Amino acid sequence: MIETTAAPFPTLRLRPWLAPVALAAAAVGTYMALFWAPTDAVQGEVYRIIYVHVPLAWLSYLAFVVVFLASIGWLWSRRPWFDALAVSSAEVGVLFTGLFIVAGSIWAKPTWGVWWTWDPRLVTTSVMFVMYLGYLLLRSLSTDFQRRATRAAVLGVIAVVDIPIVHLSVIWMNSIHQLPTVLRMTGGPTLDPTMGLTLGVNVVAFTLVYLALLGERMHIERARQRLVLERRS
Amino acid sequence: MSGEPVTLGKIVLVALRELFAERRHPDGLAAALTFTGMLVLLESLAFGPGRAREPATASAVFWIAVVFAASLVTMRSFDRELEDDAIDAVIALPGGREALYAGKVLAIAVVVAVVAIAAGALSILLLDLGIALPGHLVLVGALGVVALPPVVVLANVLTLRVRARVALVPILAFPILVPQLLAATQGAAAALSGDAAAALGWSGLLAAFALVYAVLGLTIVPAAIE
Repeated sequence: MIETTAAPFPTLRLRPWLAPVALAAAAVGTYMALFWAPTDAVQGEVYRIIYVHVPLAWLSYLAFVVVFLASIGWLWSRRPWFDALAVSSAEVGVLFTGLFIVAGSIWAKPTWGVWWTWDPRLVTTSVMFVMYLGYLLLRSLSTDFQRRATRAAVLGVIAVVDIPIVHLSVIWMNSIHQLPTVLRMTGGPTLDPTMGLTLGVNVVAFTLVYLALLGERMHIERARQRLVLERRS
Repeated sequence: MSGEPVTLGKIVLVALRELFAERRHPDGLAAALTFTGMLVLLESLAFGPGRAREPATASAVFWIAVVFAASLVTMRSFDRELEDDAIDAVIALPGGREALYAGKVLAIAVVVAVVAIAAGALSILLLDLGIALPGHLVLVGALGVVALPPVVVLANVLTLRVRARVALVPILAFPILVPQLLAATQGAAAALSGDAAAALGWSGLLAAFALVYAVLGLTIVPAAIE
């Protein structure tokens, strides 16, 4: 029997406020990234794409970790709320990972001279992207609700192993990609304080955008779940 | 989960049943052997004899062939179960889901080992490969063979009775198998060219991935078997 009376997630209560707050934060972050942060001594103006690229990278990790936690939640409790959270986060995560790859490619052209190179970080990120596309494909091809949720949850748990591989690929393998400057194994961030603050504001702004999209998508998914269960009964 | 703990006896029983079925109707094995043999032949034609003999190229083609072969053999194995509904009987047994997953992994590893030995022998003969470190090559080969089935069986379990299963299995399995494929390819190339430290390093990575996915698989995959 499927539980349908799960307590609402805080995001759903905050949902009407999330989008305006996220937009305001994104406006502040954009202003800081374009006008307030200093020009990089080596890369010049092109470096400013890190204020989009790094938050997108962070969110792709976050989104798939949320898929992992929601998958554990579904396998543990069988509450549809967790399945709604997993699919919503996976969809937003795939969107952000796609944008992360595109932003990296736009930065690579003036910096490395090519749109794409077979660098371990690029390849492992693309593999992660394809893996979660497969996750969404598996969901779209399964018709039974319980079966779809359980199988997707198993994949959501297994696929999370790829996240540390993506992040640490620049250390483990010979990579031309820049080494981690924020989430480092040892020591703090190596960024200039002004750049660090700008990056921090943008990370917060993008995280709010993620939460706003997650809240909207979950709202749709919960309505869809209720419809399926009503039709069944 | 079925509630009753799975025992080694049940796992071996499922694996033996699988191997007997494969011996009686070796269509999966025959398809995998033909496929890998064809790929080795195509490699020497496509790359030319000089390039095909390079350790990196030869080992990459070999492991890609083995990964595809593992996928073929596993899909055929589950198709056989579904055709006569035999899978339902195994699942109904106490501890049947865990035994089904682990037994399949064990049996597929044996079948993939046969394919790998045949494809390896063919590569060595046809490409006249020089092997600097035979012991290391066997170690990489054995660990590579053990590292593939937990993921391939997982992908098959997740797509049981799902539309477009034939396309979905590689889409789900191959991205997860990238680290194993990379480690096996680099390890085999290192063993062929005489780099003992690299061969052992990549072997360690293969062993770690085999262990991680086997434990993860045995812990949560049975929940998805219906």
